[in-house]
Amino acid sequence: MPRPEQKIIKLTIDGREVEAVQGTMLVDAAKAADVEIPYFCYEPKLGQPVGACRMCLVEIEGIPKLQTSCSTPVRDGMVVNTQVQRVKDAQNSVVEFLLVNHPLDCPVCDKGGECPLQDITFGWGKGRSRVIEPKRHFVKPLALSPLIAIDRERCILCYRCVRFSQEVAEDWQLIFTERGSHTFVGTHDGHPYVAPFSGNIIELCPVGALTSQPYRFRARPWDIEGAGGVCTLCPAQCNVEFTVRDDKVLRVLSRENPGVDDGWLCDKGRFAYQAIHVDERITTPLVRDGSGELRPASWEEAITAAGALGQHQGSVGALVGGQASNEEAFLIGRLLREGLASADIDSRPHGTVELGLTRALAAPKLQATVQDIEFAHTVLVLGTEPLDDAPILDLRIRKGVRRHGVKLAIASARPSALDPNAQLSIRYAPGAVVEFLSGLEWALTAPGSGETHELAQLLRDGGEDVVILWGESLPPAALAILLRIAEKLGLAEREGAGLLEIPAGANARGIREAGALPNAGPGYADTTTGRDAAEIAAATAAGDIRALYLFGVDPLRDLGARAEWQAALARAELVVAHAGVLTEGIAAHADVVFPAESSAEKEGTIVHPDGRLQRLRVAIKHPGQVRAGWQVIGELAKAVGLDLHVLTAGMAFKQLVAAVPFYAGLTLEQIGGRGVRWPETEAAAAMPAGTPAAQVAVTDVASGPRPEVNGHLAAGTYRSIWASPEVEISPALKFTVAEQLVELAPEDAARLGIEHGSTVQVAQNGTRLSGRAVIRTGVPAGSVFLATGIAKDSANALDELMVEVVKSR
Amino acid sequence: MPHLLFDRIDEPGLNTIPVYERRGGYSALRKALQMPPEAIVEELSQSGIRGRGGAGFKMGQKASFLPKGEMAKYLTCNADESEPGTFKDRELMQKSPHTLIEGIIITTYATGIHHAFIYIRGEYQLQADILDAAVAEAEAAGYLGENILGSGHSLKLVVHRGAGAYICGEETGLLDSLEGKRGNPRLKPPFPAIEGLYAGPTLVNNVETLGTVPTIINMGGADYAKIGTEGSTGTKLISVSGDVQRPGNYEIELGISSREIIYGLCGGPKPGRTVKMWFPGGSSSPVLLEQDLDLSYDFDTLAKAGSMLGSGAIIVVDDSHSAFEVMQKVVKFYAHESCGKCVPCREGTNWTNKFLARIEAGESTPMDLDILASVQSQIIGNCLCVLGDAMAMPVGSIVAKFRDELEAEIEAARERANALPLTDTEDLLALSAH
Repeated sequence: MPRPEQKIIKLTIDGREVEAVQGTMLVDAAKAADVEIPYFCYEPKLGQPVGACRMCLVEIEGIPKLQTSCSTPVRDGMVVNTQVQRVKDAQNSVVEFLLVNHPLDCPVCDKGGECPLQDITFGWGKGRSRVIEPKRHFVKPLALSPLIAIDRERCILCYRCVRFSQEVAEDWQLIFTERGSHTFVGTHDGHPYVAPFSGNIIELCPVGALTSQPYRFRARPWDIEGAGGVCTLCPAQCNVEFTVRDDKVLRVLSRENPGVDDGWLCDKGRFAYQAIHVDERITTPLVRDGSGELRPASWEEAITAAGALGQHQGSVGALVGGQASNEEAFLIGRLLREGLASADIDSRPHGTVELGLTRALAAPKLQATVQDIEFAHTVLVLGTEPLDDAPILDLRIRKGVRRHGVKLAIASARPSALDPNAQLSIRYAPGAVVEFLSGLEWALTAPGSGETHELAQLLRDGGEDVVILWGESLPPAALAILLRIAEKLGLAEREGAGLLEIPAGANARGIREAGALPNAGPGYADTTTGRDAAEIAAATAAGDIRALYLFGVDPLRDLGARAEWQAALARAELVVAHAGVLTEGIAAHADVVFPAESSAEKEGTIVHPDGRLQRLRVAIKHPGQVRAGWQVIGELAKAVGLDLHVLTAGMAFKQLVAAVPFYAGLTLEQIGGRGVRWPETEAAAAMPAGTPAAQVAVTDVASGPRPEVNGHLAAGTYRSIWASPEVEISPALKFTVAEQLVELAPEDAARLGIEHGSTVQVAQNGTRLSGRAVIRTGVPAGSVFLATGIAKDSANALDELMVEVVKSR
Repeated sequence: MPHLLFDRIDEPGLNTIPVYERRGGYSALRKALQMPPEAIVEELSQSGIRGRGGAGFKMGQKASFLPKGEMAKYLTCNADESEPGTFKDRELMQKSPHTLIEGIIITTYATGIHHAFIYIRGEYQLQADILDAAVAEAEAAGYLGENILGSGHSLKLVVHRGAGAYICGEETGLLDSLEGKRGNPRLKPPFPAIEGLYAGPTLVNNVETLGTVPTIINMGGADYAKIGTEGSTGTKLISVSGDVQRPGNYEIELGISSREIIYGLCGGPKPGRTVKMWFPGGSSSPVLLEQDLDLSYDFDTLAKAGSMLGSGAIIVVDDSHSAFEVMQKVVKFYAHESCGKCVPCREGTNWTNKFLARIEAGESTPMDLDILASVQSQIIGNCLCVLGDAMAMPVGSIVAKFRDELEAEIEAARERANALPLTDTEDLLALSAH
């Protein structure tokens, strides 16, 4: 739906005329006019107001009863009084009532000092309670989940957590049980509240009823400082505030940015900060000694050892991982191209996309924003699972459907968590996305029936504002068709329409724009074409490339073609890596390991998938011997004889801005805490034009799932939200670490005699993986889905489409 | 005394269509189906009938709020009848279910509704069974279903049983419950007539109100309005309980004196007893005293006297009962039934309940009555729905009207508990001066 028009009206609050947008809730209009009205239950992020706490009662002239300002939209000429005696009496009363059952254990409560109930009691309460009756008691605290403790005595039943569960995350786990003053928040049958976004209820809770298990009793509000940052664990790049005490991150809170995260975080982003301060983290440089052991070394020693890259001029391959900043990616590009005479640099795990097509897909006018998802007529989710790939966008899509009537369509091989919200869910066979898109392109122009035609009709006739979210794993051939579809639908011409890529790496977009691609320099400039990730693997395994530089990437964990990479890493004469954790490939093959920064330590910029440049700021000092990435790259460059002229992170940023024409003129101050979408700036005109997609004759192609072939199933892969080293080493998240879950259709499971939860073997050409069977009703017969990105039994060991699944004995 | 709804109500077999029809049943429906729908709404408006469930809102006006035209609209009959002292709808549904069904069909025809529900409290098992049978019978007879009597009007009527919550008698709590949710009242606006069941415009009416519709159609709204008083037209089913010699349901013409009801119809308290207080409209109405017995029993007079006609449930309390006992019964009920959604009601009813327990235990002083009264005034008008007020209004009235007796009760309770005797503040000041 298009964004509503805004009309300004005038109303009077406490004798003062103020302006507000018509339809704004009175409480918000008052806030904008510097009149504070207290409330507990109101939270517009949760949807329609419920008016339950009664804290925000005000007098509106002409209405006999006091009204809840949280649920009263402002009207022109409205006269409101918030300071009259009857309003004060009502506020006093509500505070007194709330404390009838509240234990007032503030001195031992985690919320004490940052508690709305405390603040409002001081601000709007009478300061004296007349309650001497006994209060209600519960066993406390209880683990609502491994991450959240619940203290039901402190709960004021404001509805926020329950509404979050039911109306935002839509997991429908939290409910009210009992009634009246016996009411309490719980789950059906008391099972733990485990859900990808559960941690948000901690932040929503206006009292100390829901507290974070990892944070409980770690600090009081006067011990801590807040430091703004951005989460770099996935491309959603949610804005966060690190709670810092003594240079340690103790907590992560949302730093609401409507253009990015809407004020929500996933549990990975909220709790994986623990990975910053655990023993598994590498905090000194490591160098492999004569006996083959990785041992701590001094920086000099490590830089000298890594400087041997200079002896492999023209024969170094570099991979840049998704958590690198723009500056790091830019400097690595310079190191490779200028210092090591190599063009073999890549950051895209799914194959080279022709430069003209890359540019066309990244064209400023074609980019949809995160907010466009909410107000589009139709959203198509193509070949990606938002819940795993950019979790917070899952919530944004739900919001669009629920509140703005967005029509949602899903086209994917694997069932999606959003299927129940979708008007249309289409399953294509694993590996058949090119065929599916051909069919869709055909259906856009030719009449016909079937679900592809239904989708075409929805995209074509369901309203002009169409947003297509597409996953980076789409093969290059599919992208050419996608571009043609976007052109057919005229997405570039509409403000609220466009494409939004969900890349694999958190900063993949910025890294590409900084030039970490085999066929593009900074700003998608033409450059000498090098080899892409897969070609680097092959060339290294063949001895053509002799040294590897791995910046925040472990090919055995993060990339496909595991066997080839194993051969490459074994054959490489020198492997230099930046890593925070010793994952398999790094531990076994790196000769030099530089300790990597966490996002709380890093200074630099990153780019959101929708083109928003965001700043990473230093929240804590580097632990141990860790040094800034730009600095290490600079020193390494020096060791190979190249002076990058970077003495500060700011200098690196300036070089980047100078090199990327469409960043021209940008300053760190402009980017600030909210970010700047470069496609909206004037400099965006400097983006090199893409090549229009060649028109080809299209035909209708079958792409639907096919039943098993000789007992073999077509395998698709997925990377779970929980599949990351940071999750593995965060103690609080141990319970949710991703493992090999083999998702099977009920029909196939029955045929193979496999039970839900049993151990199965997945075999292909002599390679065998072990996993736990998950029977999922949405999986089409003949398809199976396997996890990648996990520490053990990752599906990246499989090279071909068809696999055999058997029961374990 | 005209009997409209309760006319020969005890006739055997009246709950079946043959007897009901022999008595002229469904003739109003046949008449109505010949009229344009707007004309029916106009008749209802002219009749001046006010809602019989408790709020007393004009039915014709409510029906006219409903948007016109074809859309998903609903009618919900509120048969949750859970106000203590109220049992009139039970008798009507049990003995003459077709009166209600006929009223529902006419009302849906007038408002263009094709889906109606009777939300009946779970405890009314017998009545729900009777309604189920009556609905099936009406369907078989062509009064319900597609194209009723060839009029083109269609109606699906569903009897839905509640699970035992007072709050589900509140119209929006009822709608949530009907939708399968926890029965909690909704924030108004939007009112159900605009956005009700499944977010569609919904007319919610009490059993008696809908049951009166056939009478109004038969008589004509103007003639119906001649019964009763100007602001309270028609007859009313009242439930009289408590300390009277002939408790039960009666049909009265609105505007007769309350004394006529309590003494005339019901025989007054047992010999030797006097009326100490009476609830004129269910346990949620502020109490009136013996001196108020000559008040005309109609909506406006009772409102002017500081109470309300409510659901028409008169509870009479004679001088054998203590005011404290009455108050505690009321409080326990509402504290138990508060849904817990809004703060003043949830905590106010709960606090008041604990407060009275403290009085009973001999742990309070007469000064506490001021706090008790102030707590009630903090509840009134500040809640999401009227359940909180439903406790606070009668309790507030009892504290105001029986202050001396309650103070004596507090003293007596302290004595029973062997509490220290209360000392005058003057004495305390004198003591502290030493």
